[in-house]
Amino acid sequence: MNDNSDNFEGSTDKIQDVTTDAFNAQVLNAQGPIAVEFMSYGCSHCREIEPVLQQVAARVESTEKICRVNIAVEPDLASSYEIQGTPTLIMFLNGKQVGRIDGPSPTLSSVMTAVTQPFQT
Amino acid sequence: MNTNPTQTRTLPILLFNDECGVCRHIANWVRKSAQSDSGGVSLLEQPIGDDPKALRALNPKLDIWEAYATIHLLMPDGSMKLGGEAVAEVFRDLPNTKWFAGSFAFSIFGFRPFQAMLNLGYLILSDVRPLFGCESCGPPSPWVKPFAHVVKWAGTLFGSSPHPSPSPHFTLRPAMTRPTQPAVAKRPA
Repeated sequence: MNDNSDNFEGSTDKIQDVTTDAFNAQVLNAQGPIAVEFMSYGCSHCREIEPVLQQVAARVESTEKICRVNIAVEPDLASSYEIQGTPTLIMFLNGKQVGRIDGPSPTLSSVMTAVTQPFQT
Repeated sequence: MNTNPTQTRTLPILLFNDECGVCRHIANWVRKSAQSDSGGVSLLEQPIGDDPKALRALNPKLDIWEAYATIHLLMPDGSMKLGGEAVAEVFRDLPNTKWFAGSFAFSIFGFRPFQAMLNLGYLILSDVRPLFGCESCGPPSPWVKPFAHVVKWAGTLFGSSPHPSPSPHFTLRPAMTRPTQPAVAKRPA
């Protein structure tokens, strides 16, 4: 569920929170490209990448959805995707995993490439 | 966690990073110090946790990312104190430290020298936390990096082998390395 709340630096949250219960409906059974960030609020690298991912989400929102799964709250879901740490980005196209990156560099270009390139091949 | 609802309205709440060993030790010390002889407390504590909405319920301006980035003290009047100012306020609230905490308000032509020293001390402590193995505290600051290399080198000398990380921008979760549960969300056949 997207809480549409003020988030980083006062901007609106462009990233949709997904729980285990909603994962099938919102990711696996959804059509189109979706990038899922497995993250934790206590993770410093997730903190670094958050404003960048918000910018990327704003740029691609017309074509792609970006979601987040909090692994501290959803450990079983994280285990099912063998999440070794955070942030891990997994890209799904029509419910099928098409890409994955562990710990992308927190720059606009690298995150943009990470969440768009798997859908271009 | 102290969650007495009648006290939450009248006492400051110190948020702490429960994933950081240094922060937990300090929080334990504060918790013990906040207890008075009569059994009451002068300060409440709460781990930051994982729920942004729960934090916003404490204070609508409270952002979970910012809460993890720097120490936050939620005041009963709805304001928040951050960093060294929060530390000074904690000292003011603790029975054993309030005697010297007044010095942080001492001002010379608008400059508060003791508060400035406290701010610097907080920044240094905040920066060196990664040396103690806190993955939640972020990568070491540039000035701490040489010390971090020495700590890492000393660790390898004494048989500690760090987990290989696939990226410098990746926080390993030892507990997550082995899936303990079967897959729970798979695409239906």
